[in-house]
Amino acid sequence: MKPIITLICCLFIITISNSQERYLTKNGAVNFFSKAPMEDITADNNQVLSIIDATTGKMAISILMKSFLFEKALMQEHFNENYVESDKYPKATFKGSILNFDAINSTKSKAKVKGNLTIHGVTKEYLIEGNFTRTDDAILVDGEFTVNLDDFGIKIPAVVAKNIAKNIKVSFKFNHTPFKK
Amino acid sequence: MNKKKIIVVLLILGMLGGVVGYKMYNKPHVNVNDTKADFSVNANAFLNEFSTDETKANTKYLEKIVSVKGIISSIKVENNKGIISLKTDDDFGSIQCHLSDEATKSINNLKEGQNITVKGICTGYLMDVILVKSEIIN
Repeated sequence: MKPIITLICCLFIITISNSQERYLTKNGAVNFFSKAPMEDITADNNQVLSIIDATTGKMAISILMKSFLFEKALMQEHFNENYVESDKYPKATFKGSILNFDAINSTKSKAKVKGNLTIHGVTKEYLIEGNFTRTDDAILVDGEFTVNLDDFGIKIPAVVAKNIAKNIKVSFKFNHTPFKK
Repeated sequence: MNKKKIIVVLLILGMLGGVVGYKMYNKPHVNVNDTKADFSVNANAFLNEFSTDETKANTKYLEKIVSVKGIISSIKVENNKGIISLKTDDDFGSIQCHLSDEATKSINNLKEGQNITVKGICTGYLMDVILVKSEIIN
């Protein structure tokens, strides 16, 4: 299954790379925040790859799970080894289309992106709202949404149920620039 | 007398357990500067390993400290974090080194085209191979 997903991702990226107007960032930021009775946990990833094809409004995002950095080393270890199983599923991906992409201009406006989010080997359809700004030399996207751990088959042991929230708030910020070789 | 002894022993054990637990909970992150690199590679070969067989390269390099030698193709600072890319023969891919806060401070001493060795933790491959918490060796 995984090679197929990788292949599709590659093909997708290649297709986008071949078209004329593509915008990308290699340093997109994704943060997640878990609010639970015992503790709040947050992790940052500043190495997210996000590509927008400006002719079709398609969007593709790739995230390395091991790039999420936590405040405590132990949390990071548990996250990678026990919860998202990063060795088995090293990447999370999102592939989708920006609805009404043509309406996006240089004034910040809200738009929705519909697509498939894959985490922990499980794919689920999402409709995510974000703030979009498009100028000649950049497409800015930011926003937040909620991910339910059960949806993606991520199990939290009863012992730490009070430490980790079932619903995780994910916020993102991408500053896409025109892709030059 | 005997009861007292048992209580004292239990208390000591409890305290030890508490200390060990606390230490484990607060286990520090790996210090990249003080740790010897698990692998020393050159930028081109490093990217090649990932582009030919990503799964194999993942098993070998993920979460390992890798020291990479190469030529700087770009230097930038985003959100106060320094990022340098190392040139490869590949058209799209490079090695992206995200610098530690400490290393970001000395980013002004670096120039594009300069030969450099960077040591960091490898987190994987997207278009580029990514190193985080990188330190500049020379």
